[in-house]
Amino acid sequence: MPETLFEKVWNRHVVEANDAATLLYIDRHLIHEVTSPQAFDGLRLAKRKVRRPELSFATVDHNVPTENQLDIREPMSRRQVEALRANCKEFGVTLYDIKSGRQGIVHVIGPELGLTLPGTTICCGDSHTSTHGAFGALAFGIGTSEVEHILATQTLWQGRRPATYGVEVTGSLAPGLEPKDIILAIIRAIGTGGATGHVIEYYGPAIRALSMEGRMTICNMSIEGGARAGLIAPDDITIEYYTKVDRPYAPKGKELDAAIADWRTLKTEDAAAFDKHVTVDASSLVPQVTWGTNPAMTIDVTGTIPDPGNVPFSSRQDAERALEYMGLKPGTPVSDIPVDIVFIGSCTNGRIEDLRSAAAVFKGRRVAQGVRTLVVPGSEQVKNQAQAEGLDRVFTEAGAEWREAGCSMCLAMNPDKLTPQQRSASTSNRNFEGRQGPGGRTHLVSPAMAAAAAVTGKFTDVRKLLAERV
Amino acid sequence: MEPFVSHRGRVALLDWSDVNTDLIIPARYLKRIERTGYGPLLFADKRYVDGGAPAPDAPETHGAENPDFPLNSPEAKGSTLLVVGPNFGCGSSREHAVWAVAQAGYRAVIAKGKDEGFADIFEGNAYNNGLLPIELPPADWEVVADGVRNGKNVEATVDLQNLTLTLHANGSDKVIKIDVPEGQRNRLLKGLDAIGETLQLDSKISEHEAKLAAWLTPAVA
Repeated sequence: MPETLFEKVWNRHVVEANDAATLLYIDRHLIHEVTSPQAFDGLRLAKRKVRRPELSFATVDHNVPTENQLDIREPMSRRQVEALRANCKEFGVTLYDIKSGRQGIVHVIGPELGLTLPGTTICCGDSHTSTHGAFGALAFGIGTSEVEHILATQTLWQGRRPATYGVEVTGSLAPGLEPKDIILAIIRAIGTGGATGHVIEYYGPAIRALSMEGRMTICNMSIEGGARAGLIAPDDITIEYYTKVDRPYAPKGKELDAAIADWRTLKTEDAAAFDKHVTVDASSLVPQVTWGTNPAMTIDVTGTIPDPGNVPFSSRQDAERALEYMGLKPGTPVSDIPVDIVFIGSCTNGRIEDLRSAAAVFKGRRVAQGVRTLVVPGSEQVKNQAQAEGLDRVFTEAGAEWREAGCSMCLAMNPDKLTPQQRSASTSNRNFEGRQGPGGRTHLVSPAMAAAAAVTGKFTDVRKLLAERV
Repeated sequence: MEPFVSHRGRVALLDWSDVNTDLIIPARYLKRIERTGYGPLLFADKRYVDGGAPAPDAPETHGAENPDFPLNSPEAKGSTLLVVGPNFGCGSSREHAVWAVAQAGYRAVIAKGKDEGFADIFEGNAYNNGLLPIELPPADWEVVADGVRNGKNVEATVDLQNLTLTLHANGSDKVIKIDVPEGQRNRLLKGLDAIGETLQLDSKISEHEAKLAAWLTPAVA
């Protein structure tokens, strides 16, 4: 049987299989402070040790304050960070702590450090582990019981093998359009549960044209379409990620050559079939903005807020609840909606290219009166690189706040959050009720669109701002 | 893990689609490092009146209940079986969501749609905590939901041995077949510890490790 990329990666990790379940070997295990303390407690309780401590890597991200990382004032946040430090020490797991120079959002530092490699299995107690699929790794989020299982055994039981979902992205992105617009358009097309039980493979010319950063943005939000994981087959761009920049944990020399020879085989064979398939045309996209309380509730920036009776994948009752929560009326043009807060960052859009595209919009402009703008690098390394490129000055001269690395306003576990009824333009991944703070109203957009909202005070088609430059 | 063989209890209905784990338990409660105490935090931003949700460091202390929240209705009090719309538990991987549902007293969650009732990670987490996730085809799900909508203090029995869900409503019993993957069923019936089982496969894991390509070993940073 001709195999898909997913099947190839899956099959090479099978340790044991029976009719009911498969035991998969997990090559890399990433850990953060929120979903791990109970797992380490479980090990202690059962007097178990970590089977391969050299394959687990930890960092702190969710609780870290981004104004001053060292100043964790909230006692519960501090206790959680300290618990991770103690657990890593006790069990021999490498921790990239605050000010290590390599700390950051777990899904940003994994690739940076060369932990993320094509053809591997990668797990983390975090749903956005799908990010690493951009490299052709089978990467997925797990619960805390499974974190404990991997620590103890370096394996994970999986029930039925996931089905495959081919997502073909044709054409090419026009200026002002970004990978975030592609993935929002995909989720809009398939629904938040459209890929449940499936692993997505993204392919097609618009995917091939993307940098690794862009591919990570796409794979990151696979989970928002319900997918177990998202994958992109490795190519020259993937391989250059390891050959052009020194990645500390990546293979070197002859081992890198052997790895590359293997990575070249990681692709879906022409005759292999996906269980489900959808095509999205990148050329026809306009910038996307979410209006509701799940990421499928997305419209064009040129559009209007929909009638609740006419929302794909949602009942009238669910759509009415979303409109009420968001404080929006059907028929309102998206471009009339004002914003209070702009957040640029997260594991979706906190990498260097994201900051560059936001800076291109900010340059020579000012943040609109009354709007607060946070620009948060995804890692210490991203922060340093942005500063070396002078991007930090572009942000601060525009009146935006240049912060330290962390999850920041993505999920309201640190001091960066919305207050009730505050409305944000956010480059993060979830517009769920309360996600950025109780009562907060989130609209997901690309980094360029977030910057456009910051400088105009409302949702503005960034293509207009870019046209002004010409 | 506590075995699940058969359970009879009151049924509650939350007829919302795409209920995400941020809604099931908001992120601020994830700062807790304990594995217990999550029951009162279930749907914390929905089930209490404005400002009534517990502080993260005092989960037992909360304001008045929001009478408009479906699970606060008198019929839902003391319920141990939760009927929900499709794609329940989508979003974040937080196992705290399952802990909250289980520690609020639920033994099983019954979602609408085969293969689309539960988000994948939530479903796996539920099995790992002895909370039985049951996906019903829409027609069967409607029978259960209608029974709850139209009845008073409706109960049901989930029998994992015989793979049935029996709805006890309006003086009659309706038996519905349920489908639970055999591996999970066996583990739940016996209350098995997954790690303990896997550790018995140690030699197979070692065999796999012996065959790994050299480039898979992390280089020295």
